[in-house]
Parts: sequence; structure tokens; C-alpha cells
Amino acid sequence: MHLPIEIYLVQMMHGLVYGMLIFLVASGLTLVLGMLDILNITHAAFYMLGAYFAYSITLQLGNFWLGLLIAPIFVGIIGVLIERIFLRKTYKGGHLSQLLITFGLLFIFGELVRIIWGTVPLDVSVPKLLEGSIPFGGMTYPIYRLFILCFSVLIFIGITLVLSFSRIGIIIRAAVSDAEMVNALGINIPLVFLGVFGGGAFLAGVAGVISVPFISVHSNTGLEVLLDCFVVIVIGGFGSLLGAFIASLMIGLLQSFGILWIPKLAIVFPFLLMVLVLILRPTGLFGVKE
Amino acid sequence: MIRSRIYYFLWGMIGLFLLLLPKVLSMIHIHLATEILIFALFALSFNLVFGYSGLLPFGHGALFGVGAYVAVLIFKHFPGMPLLLTVLITALSGGLVAAFIGLFCVRLKAAYFALITLAFQMFLFAIALKWRSLTYGEDGMSITRPDLNLFGFGNISMHSVQNVYYLTLVIVTIGILICYLFLKTPLGNSVISVKEKDIRASFLGYNVFLTKLAVYSFSGIFASVAGGLYSFFQEFVNTAYIDLNMSMSAVFMTVIGGSGHFMGPVLGAAFYIIFQDWISSMTQHWWIWLGLVFVLIVYFEGGGLINLFNRERIDRFLSRLRK
Repeated sequence: MHLPIEIYLVQMMHGLVYGMLIFLVASGLTLVLGMLDILNITHAAFYMLGAYFAYSITLQLGNFWLGLLIAPIFVGIIGVLIERIFLRKTYKGGHLSQLLITFGLLFIFGELVRIIWGTVPLDVSVPKLLEGSIPFGGMTYPIYRLFILCFSVLIFIGITLVLSFSRIGIIIRAAVSDAEMVNALGINIPLVFLGVFGGGAFLAGVAGVISVPFISVHSNTGLEVLLDCFVVIVIGGFGSLLGAFIASLMIGLLQSFGILWIPKLAIVFPFLLMVLVLILRPTGLFGVKE
Repeated sequence: MIRSRIYYFLWGMIGLFLLLLPKVLSMIHIHLATEILIFALFALSFNLVFGYSGLLPFGHGALFGVGAYVAVLIFKHFPGMPLLLTVLITALSGGLVAAFIGLFCVRLKAAYFALITLAFQMFLFAIALKWRSLTYGEDGMSITRPDLNLFGFGNISMHSVQNVYYLTLVIVTIGILICYLFLKTPLGNSVISVKEKDIRASFLGYNVFLTKLAVYSFSGIFASVAGGLYSFFQEFVNTAYIDLNMSMSAVFMTVIGGSGHFMGPVLGAAFYIIFQDWISSMTQHWWIWLGLVFVLIVYFEGGGLINLFNRERIDRFLSRLRK
């Protein structure tokens, strides 16, 4: 099959954009997983809530940017409440009850969204500032997608800088590797947990908001993203931010090129890649052996 | 020994009740009862893995779906196949698929295991969705139920829903009995020891990997039989039989019924289906109520509905009666 090079370029950009969106959601998930050893399935609901809040705020206030500012904060607050009310109690109860409880909450949120916003997919138009396309390698490319790409890369750089150089980042990284020891050093680990959990929810909310103008939201949005996120954190390795970043890009590219080459099998490629990684490196690309 | 006699009596009553049920129920309720039986077997097979070996298979709907598709494909392409042989092939295919999936999964820790089984389910779902020439994707395939040939004792028509109910009752009862007996074998015991602590079990000389693989495959057999029964009963199969909601229903039934007891999932299946039937007539948002029940049970570590019937409580009740 001979396609012009431009199509490959555009398809590659699509893949990168989608990969970065997945990364925004997966980064919070993988940090929480690394620190608290909780696979927080409700995380997908945070993404979905971000998208719905953005829709309502844009509709009410007529300004997308306010939505981008406010919606993630709401989502973060909901995340903090969930950690406090539901998860705090189950840390000692073991993995199974955490998996079950976060899973049940995801379904409750999905249904709540259906009650409040209905089942019809909702659209938000691209903000005025970012409308239109720019010429790109002989073709045109929508500005909004480029915005998503740049925005997500900025956030990735921001998280990396915070985690590598700030005091709180050092504490978080230490807690990922051994929470008990850090707690013994006199740092309020439950509070750090709460912060990371809320921060993860916030990031998922951000991803939800910026995804609305180019994916219409519906009540299954959360589940769809959830599966890709799972694949990403398994490939990247539990708790590894860099792993999540690379795996997200791999998944994004794999999907967009998969659709180009073998459209029928495009949805199974990520899973095949995941199984392959698991066979070759059961801890994921950047996971640490226990 | 009065107690055990009372239990035998109770089981006898339940058996009699199930046998006489179609005589008193309306058509719609026989449908409901058949559905409960099928999902009881499905949830029970799920709980063999979840409750007894401590692994959480999030993708158990995959095995249910494999059974549903295999059965329908046999009915469609080999109409002359005796029904009982179809059941056996369905069981075998489920066991094989589970063994294959298990090969990759059972070594992994809880969260990984849950994820990878889910991934395999999505994989099979995608195949069912995309391989249209075989499965017809979302549109699915319709069949008519073939008769049950008793080899010389004549044919039993499966046209009547009552007969389908009885066939389901027989197969499900046999399935549940086999599962019960399986847990009494040395292999079944080693499953429980693996759940307690798999490192200890491996020091004691148990092969943890093979034990988990065995119980997962064994569970796959019955999940698949349940799936086959369901598509046989509905005379239809499509991708909804292998999707995420199918897996979720097993999780919900088992947890609501109580994973700590052998019969918990059976009770959970009955509750789930009756509750769904009842509440969906009032509101279309019944998931939220089910979700709330589910979360509350997990949150308060309630042990599920079966705890309402636990032995101590029944004994207390009986002793009070005797006074």
C-alpha cells in the first residue's frame, strides 16, 4: 500500500495527540498505583466527570477557558472526598476490596452521569482562539489538536520537574518506593496520599476537559479510556511516570497506524502489545522488580 | 444429628420447590427462573476463582461468551449434533480457552490478574465484533432450539419453556454438584491453601502455578456451559454475551450474594435477576441502586446476603423454636 508521506505524518500526529491524552489520565492512575498500591478503577470516572463539567460550564458561562480552570478543581475535590470516605478504610483490607469498591463507584458515577446529563453524546465547540487549521507538511492540521499536544507535553514536563526537584516531589517518589519508611521518618503519609490522589483526579479532569471539543462525551467515555489506561500502565510498569509516558505514545501511535493499515484489527493491537510485554517483561518496561 | 437432618430436609424442600416451580409460575416467571439458574452456575464458576483461590477475574464474561458462541455455532452449522454432545463440546472449549488465558495470567498478582483477564476479554470481544463472516458482529445470530434426543427413549421437545427449564435445572444442578465435589478433592483443598498464602503453599510442596491454572480452567468449563445454556435458552447470541457487562454481572452477583460461602453466588444471582426485573419496571436507572448495594456490601465487609442465613444464625433460630 503506497500512501503519500503526508498521510503518515498526519496519522502520526493523531497518534501523538491521543497518546498524550491517555497519558494525562494514566499518569495519576500510575502514581496512585505505585504509592498506595491501589488500582483505582474510579479514575476513569474522573476523566468523564471532567468532560461533563466542562460541557456544563461552557454551556452556562459561554467560556471554554473557565471550564478548563474550574472543572478539574471540582474533579479534584471529588477525588479527595472519595479517598477520604471510601478508600482510607480499605488500605488494610487488601487489594480485592479496593478493586471491588472503586469498580462499584465507577458504575455509580456512570449511572449518575446518565441521570444528570442523559445518554445523548454531547459536543462542545472548539474555543474561538483555537479554531481552524494551519498548514502542516503539505496538508493542514487542526490547531486544537496541536494545542492538546503542546498542553499535555507542558504538563508532562511540569510533573517531571515537580517530581524530580521539589521537596514534595522527592517525598512522593520516596513514598512510591517505600511508603512505610517515609512515614517512619515523620512525614504525614496519609496527607501525601490524599494530595497525590486529588492531584491524579485533577489531571484526569484536565484530560477530560481538553478532550471534549474533539471527542463528544457520552456515558461510556470513562470505560473506553479506562481500558487504554490499563494497557498503558501495564506496559509502562506500575508506578512509573516515564513508563506511562512512553507507553501512552506507543499506544497512541499503534492505534492510529493500526487504523491506517489493518482497520479491522486496530482495536486488538494494544492488547496484543500488552500481552507481548507481559511475556517478555512481566513488570512492564520501566517497572521495578520486587 | 438433628441439625444435619434438618439441613437435608431443607435441601429436599428446595429441590421439590424447584421441580414444582414451573407448574405454578406464569410463562414470564419461568423465563426468569431459568435465567436465575443459568447465572447461578456462571456466578458460582466465577467464585471458584474469586472466593476460593483469591484471584479476581474481571474478564469472566469472556468464558461465558465463548460458551454462548460455540453452542450457537454448533446449532447453526451442525444441526444434527446431539444436544448432550454440544454441552460437552461447549464445556471443553471453555476449559481450553480458560487454560490458555490462565497460562498468561495466573502467575500475576491481584491487580495484574484482574487487568489481564479483562484484556483477554476485550480481545475476544473484538474478535466477536469484527469477524462478521463467522459471528455477524453486533447483529448476532438466531437459532431454533433443537430437541433433546435421549437415544432410544424418544425425543423431548425443547420448544416448550418448561422443558428448557427442566433441562437447565438438571445441567446446572450437575454442574454445581461437580464444583462442590471438586472442592472436596485434594486439588480443591490445595486451591484453598493457595488462597491463604501462596508462598507457604509452595513451601509445603504444592505447585501454586498448576493449582491456580487448574482452578481457572475448571471454572472456565462451567462459565462456558452457563453461556451455552444461555444462548440456547435465548435462541440468540451477539456481542452483548461476551461484553464487559457480562463480566460485571458475575462480579456483582458474587459479591452481593457473598463470596465466602459456596452457595453465596447462587443467592446473589437470584437476587440480582429478581431485583433487576423488579426495579427496572420502575426506573431505568437501576444500575445505581445495584451499585449502591454492591459498594455498601464491600465497604462494610458484610459478606453478602448469604450471611443472613449463616449457620449460627439458623442454629440460634432453631434452638429458639425448640424452646
